[in-house]
Amino acid sequence: MSELVQVYLPMFLVFAVGAAIVAVFWLGGHYLGPKNPNPEKLQPYECGNDSDGARGVRMSVKFYLTAILFVVFDIEAVFIYPWAVLFKGLGWTGFLTMLAFIAALLVALAYCWKKGALEWES
Amino acid sequence: MNLLFGLSPFLAVGVGALLLMLAEAFGKPNVAPGVETTDAGAGRAGELALGAAVILVIGAVLSVAVWVAGPESLPELTQVAPHLVIDKFTLFFSFTLCVGGALAALLAGGYLPEHGIDRSEFFPLLLLSTVGAMALSAAGDLLTLFVALETMSLGVYSLIGLRRGSPRAAEAALKYFLLGSFAAAIMLFGLALLYGATGHTDLAGIGAAVRSIGSPGSTVSAGKILISLVLVLVGLAFKVSAVPFHQWTPDAYEGAPTPAATYMAVAVKSAAFAVLLRVLLVGFGDERLASWGAGWPPALAVLAVLSMTVANLVAGRQESVKRMLAYSSIAHAGYALVGVVAAMRSPEAVSAVAFYLLAYTVSTAGAFGALILCGSRGAEAVSYEDLAGVGKRHPAAALAFSLFLFSLAGLPPTAGFFGKLYVFRTAIDSGLYTLAILGLVNSVIGAYYYLRVMVYLYMREPAPGAPRAVTMRSGFVATALVAAAIFVLLLGMAPGFTLDMASGAALTAR
Repeated sequence: MSELVQVYLPMFLVFAVGAAIVAVFWLGGHYLGPKNPNPEKLQPYECGNDSDGARGVRMSVKFYLTAILFVVFDIEAVFIYPWAVLFKGLGWTGFLTMLAFIAALLVALAYCWKKGALEWES
Repeated sequence: MNLLFGLSPFLAVGVGALLLMLAEAFGKPNVAPGVETTDAGAGRAGELALGAAVILVIGAVLSVAVWVAGPESLPELTQVAPHLVIDKFTLFFSFTLCVGGALAALLAGGYLPEHGIDRSEFFPLLLLSTVGAMALSAAGDLLTLFVALETMSLGVYSLIGLRRGSPRAAEAALKYFLLGSFAAAIMLFGLALLYGATGHTDLAGIGAAVRSIGSPGSTVSAGKILISLVLVLVGLAFKVSAVPFHQWTPDAYEGAPTPAATYMAVAVKSAAFAVLLRVLLVGFGDERLASWGAGWPPALAVLAVLSMTVANLVAGRQESVKRMLAYSSIAHAGYALVGVVAAMRSPEAVSAVAFYLLAYTVSTAGAFGALILCGSRGAEAVSYEDLAGVGKRHPAAALAFSLFLFSLAGLPPTAGFFGKLYVFRTAIDSGLYTLAILGLVNSVIGAYYYLRVMVYLYMREPAPGAPRAVTMRSGFVATALVAAAIFVLLLGMAPGFTLDMASGAALTAR
């Protein structure tokens, strides 16, 4: 138990000091700062234009499509990196396995392409 | 070469799925002249369904071929172990999964065009999900287990939401997705804890580490093992939809296109049971954990009793036949769980569960198929009233429906009878008398709502002014029903052969 305390005590001290500093500044600003409210100042935004229009913006589905495709093909790179590092050790088995993996991804790419998932216009 | 042969069921379905994907995207849409479409799969549900069914049948045949050749005579298969464990247990389940998937594909070939759901992605997704399910039944390593589970589930999430215009389908898909990812997260936490406690990701290594608890020099913490066992059980109980982790089931089945519900009821559940058996017997097979006094058997027994009782009581009160079948699938999860509990003492229980799930697969796929057959465009058969009078006007459809319901109720001479017989017999042989008796009582209660369908089929007429049931005409659905009926009768009249195969599956699960 004492070992745990020794290891983690400095960390908790940092947390405590951080929280204390934040509390002092925040409470100090809250209680010591002058307060002269007027209608202008009480508006949600003190500068810029009044906001208009609906709050939620409907995003086109193509953003999600692009994001998903990016993730899929990005993960492919993640898998290929460790393989490239160990390329010599893995030999032909590793090479053929990776070929099969890339072939499957190529099928997916061809599918996306033909289905129009890569078209931005339209 | 031997390695490729051993893996051929998986390769056939996996490569087949990729080819079907290309065929779907690069084919010519089959639409009426003058109709503009950008979807290359438009109007081609029939040919793609045929392709998917053929690929899955090839997968099933290859499973049998590798079974006959004997996976133990293929030493190269140890190269892929423990990530994929190809033994007779795996092959029996991959046969069941391929059969279930093929039946669902055939049903979809009739259902999707009839109800105007022109989404040919159904078939590649179905195949990819089946690959995941097969890998799940073969998973001997926590990593494969999780990846396979998600491969299987991701396909199913999209299959449920296929009817994009319908709020019901969106609700069903979202519900299943949210609860499914939640359950997967809980299970993943358990798997991580298991790895942390034992330092192994392969189930055999975990099993050895669990056995070492209590022996001098062992650093494995029993508490962590117990917590991870609970978390893994929660995740898997969700997938087999055991009460109290079943709430998503009726809604998801109701909102999904019926063939997708069929696939969920048969393949997802069977694969989840396969992995449940393997995790419990290989990973947590230690005598102290697999005993009645402590460990998983009492917990699973409670799940089994709850699933059977609650599902049977609620199923009788349903107005929708689809929901009734959903609750029936929960009740059947309960019966199969009785066999899983018995597996702590007798290895035969594993084969009983495997046999039970094959019987359940063909009966449930048949029952959903018969329900599909009883409806047509704009008049999908949903409630009991929709089925009134079908027995007089469409005797073949009613006869098929009755056969599958008999099998689900467990009446001889059908597959379901022997499934229940073997499961309850192994329970009695293992000394689980209370559990076996509760199971039998529940089978009797269950017969009530299955027979209620038959009352409507044969003894009721639609109310005056109510629409009359019009059956659809589809070679695909008819083929699926005939195939399922042959299985139900074969397993029911000559169960010995299949049971011999299943008992080969039992020995290697330990």
